[in-house]
Amino acid sequence: MNNMSATATTPATATVETAARLGRGHVLGWVVSVAILASLAALPVYAGFATQRLLVEVFVVFAMATAWNLLAGFGGLVAVGQHVFVGVGAYALFVVSNALGLNPWWTLPLAAAAAAAFALLTAWPMFRLSGAHFAVGTWVLAELMRIAVLNTEALGEGGGLPLETLRDFTRAQRNAGVYWAALAVGVLALVTARQLLTSRLGLALTAVRDSEAAARASGVPVQRAKVALWVCAGALTGLAGAVAYMNTLQVSPDASFGLGWTAMAIFIAVLGGIGRIEGPVVGTAVFFVLRESAGQFGAWYFVALGVLAIVTMLLAPGGAWSLVLRRWPTFDPFAMRRWMP
Amino acid sequence: MAGIVELLINGLLLGALYALFALGLSLSLGVMKMINLAHGDFIVLGAYLAGAAMSTTGWPALACIGLVVPVMFAIGWALQAGLLNRVVGAHELSPLLVTFGLSVVIQNVLMEVFTANTRSLPSGDLALQGLRLGDVSIGLLPLLIGLVCVALYAGTHVLVSRTHLGRQARAVADDSATARLVGVDDRRFFALMAGFVMAVTGLAAVLYGVRTPFAPTAGPERLLFAFEAVVLGGLGNLWGSFAGGLVIGLAQVLGTQVSTGLGPFFSHLVFLVALLVRPQGLFGAPRH
Repeated sequence: MNNMSATATTPATATVETAARLGRGHVLGWVVSVAILASLAALPVYAGFATQRLLVEVFVVFAMATAWNLLAGFGGLVAVGQHVFVGVGAYALFVVSNALGLNPWWTLPLAAAAAAAFALLTAWPMFRLSGAHFAVGTWVLAELMRIAVLNTEALGEGGGLPLETLRDFTRAQRNAGVYWAALAVGVLALVTARQLLTSRLGLALTAVRDSEAAARASGVPVQRAKVALWVCAGALTGLAGAVAYMNTLQVSPDASFGLGWTAMAIFIAVLGGIGRIEGPVVGTAVFFVLRESAGQFGAWYFVALGVLAIVTMLLAPGGAWSLVLRRWPTFDPFAMRRWMP
Repeated sequence: MAGIVELLINGLLLGALYALFALGLSLSLGVMKMINLAHGDFIVLGAYLAGAAMSTTGWPALACIGLVVPVMFAIGWALQAGLLNRVVGAHELSPLLVTFGLSVVIQNVLMEVFTANTRSLPSGDLALQGLRLGDVSIGLLPLLIGLVCVALYAGTHVLVSRTHLGRQARAVADDSATARLVGVDDRRFFALMAGFVMAVTGLAAVLYGVRTPFAPTAGPERLLFAFEAVVLGGLGNLWGSFAGGLVIGLAQVLGTQVSTGLGPFFSHLVFLVALLVRPQGLFGAPRH
């Protein structure tokens, strides 16, 4: 009798306790998030232009790395030519804003839309390729666009374009405004990734990543899921690219359609952990600490970075985050784990 | 008329160089199912090695092939046995990322050792000599590269179709698990093959360095041309890669006529259009 009641109450008590613990964690999580966000949003008040400009780069590169990680780590789509969206987004912003005299901040959504449309259009030839072929195929696409822009007189050829509509703002307005835009893009990247991965599409993508054949057999519309992801990642990268070039006031084809952007995204995802939402968060921190402390060594710094990426792939393919999980296996800061109902 | 013929011949001969770049990539894609993203950087590395060999031995460029090819074979063998065999086969993500890291390392080491300046391999008056056939004149060096390319493809064809090594290669390409069952040590075989691929790349590299000026950052574009040639030709189709290279070279030379800066643009465009029109490659059987 005693025994029976014990077995009957234990799971219920456990459930209540779990719920209470989760609730507390939830509240704590919100408090910490809001505190971090508020102190970052207030940064233009207490930090100088140099810090703001550096953080703009941190946030946009984080957004690009998150997009790359979504493609490679969840969709199985390794895009070596992801930087094509940086160029498309940046040029869309500059051209539309200059031509219509539009406030560049209000033009940002248009830049994202242009990158999304470009992604949808290019999905047609690109998805004829798969795996390693897709990886290099996207690179061809980026080169094609770079050379096309480089030879287009209306886009300023090699010299590129200035963002004329920013001239009406003071330096402080410009810096703070671009900083807030970058912060918004960084937050948007994180929220998009989380929402995407906890959604139906995320479940479908994870299934495809683990076994495409099994996912297809279970009724997952594989191609549609991949195209949807490609468009989301393209729009996010395009938006981040547009903000990155608002920061520099000038866009040029060699820089904006440059492999450097994708290389940063790849290093960050590899160092932080591919296929984990936390990967780019950790990876961005590691990458910028490395760059700010060793970047002055120029070419040797890149050699070391390349070697570090290779060693990471060999010894800890899950990146830094897998080392964290090895120590604290249940740590789940973004509440990504799926609970059985 | 003679101008047009000359243009077409120049395009085909440039294409032969791209076909040489594509030969190694075609083999490693066909058999090992991996793309070495540093393929182009190894071509540039080979050219720099030839330059270093020339200045230390004082030999002419083409004689340095004898030094560069064995060194590149050793590099390819060691790289596959020591590094790439650990990541090949398991997941296509890992070899891509490891070779991407390798590409960054090679480019920056070259930059540090040889500076970012453009350079070329001096070849005496070989680069200036030409053959005249009526009104058409053809450069002797591009012609020589074209002949080497045809000979190498023919040799590789014989190697793949007639020898025991070739049978192993075809077996691994068709089904690596079954090949292992019947006694093919695929890891050891991969190392040997990577050595062969890199030796071919080394040969292509010296010819490239003699024909065109190069810089440490020239690698990625070589990789893209080689890749386009392989995909155009159809996967696992050796002579397809050869023809793909010719098409890419022809597109580039004809594109340069449209506008001097647009040569490579037209190569990439032909690739993209071909993907839409014939995704199975120029000579591949239609997919079912």
